Amino acid sequence: MSDRPFWAHEDFTGGRPIRVEGGGIKIHSTKGAVARQWWSSRFLAVLEQQGIGGRLSRGKNYARSGQIVSLDFDAGAAVALVQGTRPAPYRVRIGMRVWDKQEWARIEQALAADAWYAAALLAGTVPPEIEELLGGLGLSLFPAGGSDLSLDCSCPDRTVPCKHLAAVFYLIAEQFDSDPFVLLELRGREKDTLLTRVREERDRAAGASGSGPAALGDLIDTFWETPEAGPPTPRPPDTEPDAVLDQVPEPSMRGLTDALRPIYRALADPEQ
Amino acid sequence: MGGVLVVHALHSPGRGVLLWAEDGDRSARSSRTSVRTARPHPFAVPSDELAAVHPGRNASATVLLPSYPSGPQDSPGLVRATARARTRSTPSLTPWTVPAVLVDSSELTDPSPDVRYGAGFLHLAELRRFAEELAARGRVLPVLTTQAGRPTARWRPVVQGLDAVARADLVRRLPPVARSEQRRPGDVSGADPGELVDAALLRFTDAAVRERLGRSPTMPVPPPARPDTTASLLHALSGPDPRIPAGDGVGPLRSALAEWDGVGREEPGAGTALFRLAEVSTLHDPADPGPDLEDQTGDGTRWELQFALQSTEDPSLQFDAGDVWDGMAEDLVAGAQDVLLAELGRAAEALPGLVPALRRARPEYLELDIDGAHRFLTRDAGALLAAGFGVALPRGWDGTRALGLRLSSSATPAPGAVTRGGLGRDELAQFRWTLAVGDDELGEEEISALVAAKAPLVRLRGRWVAVDADALAKGLDFLRRSAGRAPTVHDVLAAARGDVDAPLPVTGVQARGRLGELLAGTVDRELEPLPDPPGFTATLRPYQERGLAWLAFLSSLGLGACLADDMGLGKTVQLLALEAHDRGGADPAAAPTLIVCPMSMVGTWQREAERFAPALRVHAHHGASRPRGDALHSRLGEADLVVTTYATATRDAEDLRQWRFHRLVLDEAQMIKNSAAAASRTMRSFDAAHRIALTGTPMENRLAELWSVMDFLNPGILGVPEVFRQKFSVPIERHGDAGSARTLRRITRPYLLRRVKTDPEVIDDLPAKIEMVADHRLTREQASLYRTVVDDMMEKIEGSDGIERRGNVLAAMSKLKQICNHPAQLLHDGSPIHRAGGRHRSGKVERLEEILEGVLAAGDKALLFTQYTEFAGMLRPHLSARFDTEVLYLHGGTPKKRRDEMVARFQAPDGPSVFVLSLKAGGTGLTLTAANHVIHLDRWWNPAVEDQATDRAFRIGQKRSVQVRKFVCPGTVEERIDTLIASKRSLSDMVVTDGEDWLTSLSTAELREVFALGSDAVADPENDDTGDEGDGDE
Repeated sequence: MSDRPFWAHEDFTGGRPIRVEGGGIKIHSTKGAVARQWWSSRFLAVLEQQGIGGRLSRGKNYARSGQIVSLDFDAGAAVALVQGTRPAPYRVRIGMRVWDKQEWARIEQALAADAWYAAALLAGTVPPEIEELLGGLGLSLFPAGGSDLSLDCSCPDRTVPCKHLAAVFYLIAEQFDSDPFVLLELRGREKDTLLTRVREERDRAAGASGSGPAALGDLIDTFWETPEAGPPTPRPPDTEPDAVLDQVPEPSMRGLTDALRPIYRALADPEQ
Repeated sequence: MGGVLVVHALHSPGRGVLLWAEDGDRSARSSRTSVRTARPHPFAVPSDELAAVHPGRNASATVLLPSYPSGPQDSPGLVRATARARTRSTPSLTPWTVPAVLVDSSELTDPSPDVRYGAGFLHLAELRRFAEELAARGRVLPVLTTQAGRPTARWRPVVQGLDAVARADLVRRLPPVARSEQRRPGDVSGADPGELVDAALLRFTDAAVRERLGRSPTMPVPPPARPDTTASLLHALSGPDPRIPAGDGVGPLRSALAEWDGVGREEPGAGTALFRLAEVSTLHDPADPGPDLEDQTGDGTRWELQFALQSTEDPSLQFDAGDVWDGMAEDLVAGAQDVLLAELGRAAEALPGLVPALRRARPEYLELDIDGAHRFLTRDAGALLAAGFGVALPRGWDGTRALGLRLSSSATPAPGAVTRGGLGRDELAQFRWTLAVGDDELGEEEISALVAAKAPLVRLRGRWVAVDADALAKGLDFLRRSAGRAPTVHDVLAAARGDVDAPLPVTGVQARGRLGELLAGTVDRELEPLPDPPGFTATLRPYQERGLAWLAFLSSLGLGACLADDMGLGKTVQLLALEAHDRGGADPAAAPTLIVCPMSMVGTWQREAERFAPALRVHAHHGASRPRGDALHSRLGEADLVVTTYATATRDAEDLRQWRFHRLVLDEAQMIKNSAAAASRTMRSFDAAHRIALTGTPMENRLAELWSVMDFLNPGILGVPEVFRQKFSVPIERHGDAGSARTLRRITRPYLLRRVKTDPEVIDDLPAKIEMVADHRLTREQASLYRTVVDDMMEKIEGSDGIERRGNVLAAMSKLKQICNHPAQLLHDGSPIHRAGGRHRSGKVERLEEILEGVLAAGDKALLFTQYTEFAGMLRPHLSARFDTEVLYLHGGTPKKRRDEMVARFQAPDGPSVFVLSLKAGGTGLTLTAANHVIHLDRWWNPAVEDQATDRAFRIGQKRSVQVRKFVCPGTVEERIDTLIASKRSLSDMVVTDGEDWLTSLSTAELREVFALGSDAVADPENDDTGDEGDGDE
């Protein structure tokens, strides 16, 4: 915190922030509301409930004018550098309570049991029912309030959230719009890990062994038998006998493909 | 050996195909009890014994088998003489050593009938066949490996797309016993199925390629004489020895081949969801008397929208969602499960109704009720397709099968319902409109089922049809309104061309009986022949009888008819027979029939009418002295046939329009091909109860001409020209559209009858030789020369006698014949064949050109005989230039060698088509069967001589009928002598013996009569003497 009088702060003097060299990360929305999707709006509502008045619109302007230098998602937190009026950018961290292993395991189970959630998330939307699902597990997708959310900014503004935090909120909300998995990442699970776990859970629930073939010892009942045939595979299309040579990359040894062609033709019709 | 061996096979990577076998005659009990280390299998067959069935190298293997404490489990195929003691213990996996035989993989495809085979053997045999198939399709690539320190060339499989699906299935279906080899002590998990299958496939592929190449006479590629790495590779790949001599080139070769290692091992690609509407069984137990609550279709089936994943790169790769959840699509579509989930999620945005089906762990399908199925077919499927998803609809679904109307006759008309040549009221009364789907007419029950159906999707005869209740109501209303009102022939024909005012599309017209035959264009074959027309003297050929019946039939229906028989098939005779039929029977007092033809045909019509239908009164309406106004009217009142030319008819249109003719006949109807020309408009303006067009040109390919002739015959039938152009001319002529051509043929065929000379039924009917007279007129120049010669020569004849008179008679004869050929032939002045401006000086040459035009257009060949070498000498260059074709000419002075050469060239299929021969030189000895037209340009009046000439073409080797034309100019010696011979029997004998000498015995008065120029010899002086082109707008 600064030892300067409060009126010397840029928030009060209205000093202009330093432009980010080469342009920072900008939100795409150029006017009006930032979040287009309900889940992003819900996330922003958490910010707006804090009642920070003018900082909100200043934060939005920061986000629009590209004052955010970087944004990274870490386990349970979004960390950003925001360029303010001082030469060194402020460090902003928005942390959410990370769900623990047991909580995630229950979520993964639930997602594996009802494909609709994963399908919708993968298609880029958050089904509203997910709140109900998480509520049933005693969890909430959105931060329930101050205790569920930790907000830090290295700026001198004593008020939390400051406009720098607000700017990062807007940027995150816009990312949520297009990739709802970011929301879950803030709760401690990366998209790929989550999908893999859900897949394994789905396999496990279906009684499949998961990864790898079944051990021979588990197959004693059907040891001597051939598993039932699937539907017949359609016949591959007829191609020229040497079609594969037209498919391979041109080898570094010139003339090799053409030297091989007679063998392929003899192969297709050896009696000729 | 009592029991039957059970042979097992497994692929041992690094070793090859291992066979081992159980023998039911051996004791099942193991003498040892160790569980940790492998014990000898108690009833496995010794290697030597197995090698007697499948020869190979002795080996042994350790296999993990389900076992009891006492010993290994019997495989299911094993039969024992004495049953094993029963055991209650559950089997567990235990290692056993078995004697084995290491065999060539070809043993897998050569099973012995004396043993049984386990599942592993059969599976490996299937793998081997798969490898053979890959080899046969060339799905292989060479690799360079190192074996025992030497570079070795091997073949590996290239498994992609559908082959990858087949491989995945082989992996899935690998029986556990095939994985039983224990590679390391203590390992009990069994070999990995994927690795095992791939290793076996690699080995089998190399073997299969070499085996196939071994059958090829061109393989192996010989080893190189000098070191050459590529040649060594080819030799090693195509022969039995895969090794390559080490050398400098091996390194580059190895790296070159390594560049192909990625082929067939690509990362899995992208996928899209496929939605398949399917009808599945409700699985209702037929023994259960209770209602099948799930039955939606009445056939024990219900609807499902099944989910599947489809490879984007190869859409034939499709995996049911169930298989995707089982992990079977992972090798072909990257992240297949998540791709399917994302696709389903995206589809649910387009189709929210999908959501309930997704609310489970492994969504595979959406249950649909019948409305849902209909909604899917008619709406949702389109939405999914538009959103980029694949959609598969049930077999038999065809969105184009909509409800329509069909006009059909319900029953075969009773015999007698058809009047002779016409259509009875009864036949038309049989017609009624029905509702139809596609070609399927709906019966009363089906219609009531449709009306009662609450569902919009109804199965009709095994296929699904969407039914629009509104369309159904309109259709039924139309049926009610049209009930009890028999359609007219015109209604039926109009419906057949889709020209009807109905609330639903007309999907077809189904007519039986005469009308059906008429629509199908086959009515001429089915009509009964008419009785011989009264007073008609010619005997019609069977095909001409059919033509007559057809003309009479269409006439009775008031339908205009186009008789488009090939040139020479007797269109004139058929028309005359029709007139004789009408006037001799049904309508003796009928108004006259107006026949419009080119000038050159007027005489033919007159002569043939006189010859075949002498009772018909013919008025040839042409020439300057023709009657006009009232005179014409009184003349017409007394005539049956009025023959006129296009030009005269156009000129006298005012007078002719006063009449309603019995029939209007256009001969050479292609004359009105330009529908806007004055003559065409005039012909359309004439009033007649019936119209007939005669033409020898196939009109199907000349659409403007077809439109014009058809519109003349049946006004409005092909619509207005602009629409016709857009609907038919452009698609057919510019784009060769077969569908439009078919539609046009279907519309026109009831009114068009065309037989060609090559029609089998015409050939059967034809005499092999058709003789006819070719009519021509003299030009004014010819006529005046003719008169001069007659006056001059008659004077000389009168003033001479004896040998001198005889000479004068023959000279006169000769001169007149020459004039009929061409003026220049008499004048010997080498003057040109045409007058300035291209006008003809000879009516005969003009007519000859017309005939040759038809001959050449048909791709036929013609022989032209003349007595006069001078005429032949004139004709040859002229015809050659006129038709831009080579014309051969053979005369008495042609050397033998040249003559043979000409004959050979003419006989060749692509040789010249016109051959001019002098009657004397060419009349005997030659074989010219390539020609099917013989034209006698001038007459010798000796049938024997003429026949002999004709026989050059009409002789053994001739496969077609031969048309023989003899030129005759009416009103000249050509015609007079013809008539004289026909009327005086005694003369004909003289002719045979004496040639023209008999003429000298005629009296001077008789000669004057023979030589005098008749008024009909000259072309209509009012028309230009190039003939009559008729269009009048030149």
